[in-house]
Amino acid sequence: MALHSAIVLTILTLTVGCSEPRSDTTLRFGLANTPANLDPRFATDATSARVNRLLYSRLIDFDEAARPVPSLATWEQISPVHYRFFLQPTRQPFHHGAELTASDVKATYDFVLDASNHSPHRSALTLISDIHVPTDNIVDFYLNKPDRLFPSYLVIGILPANLIRTNHPFHEHPIGNGAFTFIDRPDDTHWRLMRQVDRQYVELLRIPDPTVRVLKLLAGEIDMIQNDLPPELTAYLDTDDKISIQRRQGANFSYLGFNLQDPVVGQHRIREAIAHAIDRTSIIHHLLHDTAHPANAMFPPKHWVGDATLSGYDYNPTRARALLRQAGFDEAHPVRLTYKTSTDPIRLRVATIVQDQLAHVGIDVSIQSHDWGTFYGDIKAGRFQMYSLSWVGLKTPDIFRYVFHSSSIPPRGANRGRFIDTQSDRLIEQAQATQDLHRKSEIYRRLQAHLLHVLPYVPLWFEEHVFLARRNITGYVLSADGNYDGLLTVTRRPTSTQLTRQESHQP
Amino acid sequence: MTKFVLARLASALLIIFGVSCLVFMLMHLIPGDPIDVMLGETAHPTDKDALRKAMGLHLPLHIQLLHYLQRLLHLDLGTSIHSGRAVTTILLERFPATLELGAGAITIAMLVAFPLGIFAALRQHTVIDAGAMAFALTGVSIPNFWLGPLLIMGGALWLGWFPVSGRNGLLSLVLPALTLGTAMAAILSRMIRSAVLEVIHEDFIRTAQAKGLGATQTVFRHALRNALLPVLTLLGLQFGALLSGAVITETIFSWPGIGSLMIEAIQQRDYPIVQGTILWISLMYIGINLVTDVLYALADPRIRLRHPS
Repeated sequence: MALHSAIVLTILTLTVGCSEPRSDTTLRFGLANTPANLDPRFATDATSARVNRLLYSRLIDFDEAARPVPSLATWEQISPVHYRFFLQPTRQPFHHGAELTASDVKATYDFVLDASNHSPHRSALTLISDIHVPTDNIVDFYLNKPDRLFPSYLVIGILPANLIRTNHPFHEHPIGNGAFTFIDRPDDTHWRLMRQVDRQYVELLRIPDPTVRVLKLLAGEIDMIQNDLPPELTAYLDTDDKISIQRRQGANFSYLGFNLQDPVVGQHRIREAIAHAIDRTSIIHHLLHDTAHPANAMFPPKHWVGDATLSGYDYNPTRARALLRQAGFDEAHPVRLTYKTSTDPIRLRVATIVQDQLAHVGIDVSIQSHDWGTFYGDIKAGRFQMYSLSWVGLKTPDIFRYVFHSSSIPPRGANRGRFIDTQSDRLIEQAQATQDLHRKSEIYRRLQAHLLHVLPYVPLWFEEHVFLARRNITGYVLSADGNYDGLLTVTRRPTSTQLTRQESHQP
Repeated sequence: MTKFVLARLASALLIIFGVSCLVFMLMHLIPGDPIDVMLGETAHPTDKDALRKAMGLHLPLHIQLLHYLQRLLHLDLGTSIHSGRAVTTILLERFPATLELGAGAITIAMLVAFPLGIFAALRQHTVIDAGAMAFALTGVSIPNFWLGPLLIMGGALWLGWFPVSGRNGLLSLVLPALTLGTAMAAILSRMIRSAVLEVIHEDFIRTAQAKGLGATQTVFRHALRNALLPVLTLLGLQFGALLSGAVITETIFSWPGIGSLMIEAIQQRDYPIVQGTILWISLMYIGINLVTDVLYALADPRIRLRHPS
């Protein structure tokens, strides 16, 4: 992959010609992955979620700090187990013309909650005990237990109740009331949408190979791309004057995980030594071309439970060696570890660098790279000493229970490192029981400081979002969570040739 | 001849049955759980159990295999875990693209390989022969993941004649077909050269020349016809491979064929599609082999006469 990219970059530098972009008015957006399902009741992949945001409206959205904010509705907490949502008075009708009412909201959530429909989103919503519709504009949600974070869970796109009843194939012909209408899908690599406000056509094209995606951008066959590029390609495009680039700090959290039941990495000193032995700044600069920011916790500082005051482990090989000696290891008796990772080229490169950095302090790492199914199966089953992965799209802090509580060891959760710590359990339980959001955020901050101390994970970095477009593309605003909402405002400036043509037609 | 075809058909059906069972068993052996993919890790165990039951995955393996074979008889390969669409529909949607690319590649391969192979044989140990074999060696050695971007750079960015990728008209077929056809042309030209060299010194060629036939007639009517048998086998196998999807080329050129479908399905762990594409690929191979065998028998009567049936 590295050789491939290097060859392509060399040839690119020598050869890239200046093709004119296509002259039609459709805006073309290159995607790495297919939106697998355009029915929000079943979609689970990130690309589908991002495209579905354009096609459907949801009750709430999130602000910069990942706090829930009104989208289709405002809300009021009537009691700890009763939330009332008021639909916005001015709201778009569905794409087939029908008005969106509270009954549509109820029908959508009732469908998801019906166990016989096997929606993947049901488990996040099982705290809903009942949904009532007092008027066309009001929906009441009744819960079976208090949860102050409840509005954050209502992110499913709303579908028309009458079409739900008739089993309309939303995955094939999405009908929502979002800013975009679905036009067609000529084949599995094209989706055509139309922006309702100005009838601007947008074509989403699946181009899996990152190099080809870049070549299409340079040739003007597509207008813009977002994320999913090797850092060296982003760095290359950064220097191209035909391309504009936007960057924004993201919240996708990369980390090193440990099996806490392992006799070696189960020792706190060893994990601390590893944290001190990894030079994250160098990796971010040289390998990731500064497209990431060091992380000290799962949530970035700007998140409402984030903590900017947390100070992580500095790169200190001397301290790492001292810690290893205290743990009874030295050059004659080095620590030997296996590091499991997937076959993703970037992850493999990171693993190789970590292997080298750990070797400098006397930790002998052997890398095991497996296909995703085997790798993930091993991680869930606890068949590892050390591994690296990322958490993507984290919004609500209830993830801490799922990842670090002792009751969440797989298959009951994602406590893959078998982390058992009474203080963490107590803080998680306290935070969840607290109904005051300010107090809740304080407890979560204490929890994150504690986790940074006991190190069930070594936090690595938050990946940056990158948007690349041809120079004549304007108005795209890169969002904090990497969604495609920038398509709501993006436009193409007419080229000089088109302007001249327009002028010559002036009377 | 009918008996021969029927016998081959019967053995093909037997192979299809074996392959179907093998594909089914393999999909149950690989790591990963389709229920986890559908409902996510966070799903409640009771929900997982309910879906497992609804999909019949709780049943003993041999019963599941029986159900699978029953559905196969109705051409039902199940539905995609992610999109909810029928796998058969998806495969049928993708196949024309693969067929188009395969036909394009094989056309290019034949157009290049036949003249190159024949000339190299007729001018053995000359510069033409050396040049043709150098092309063959280079063509076989260049990997598609490198040749593809190189052709894109030349044909799409430098010259601006072809689109970089995608399936949008005849022009968009040129670069992927060229990528795929180059290696095939190289292999074919070597095969044609050695096959022509073998027959060109045979007695019947000398007889033809002695009868006063011209060089063109001798080569095309006698030498090539007799040299075609091994070439036909190779062409059949290559075409079978092409119809089962050119994974790398389709991925590079965003070509919506069977190969890219399989890669997407593997990446998304969409088990029914993976199962369906593997079965499809097997069927393509079996089908093409069957056609090759029949053509072989038509071209060489000794084969059908030797056949026990």
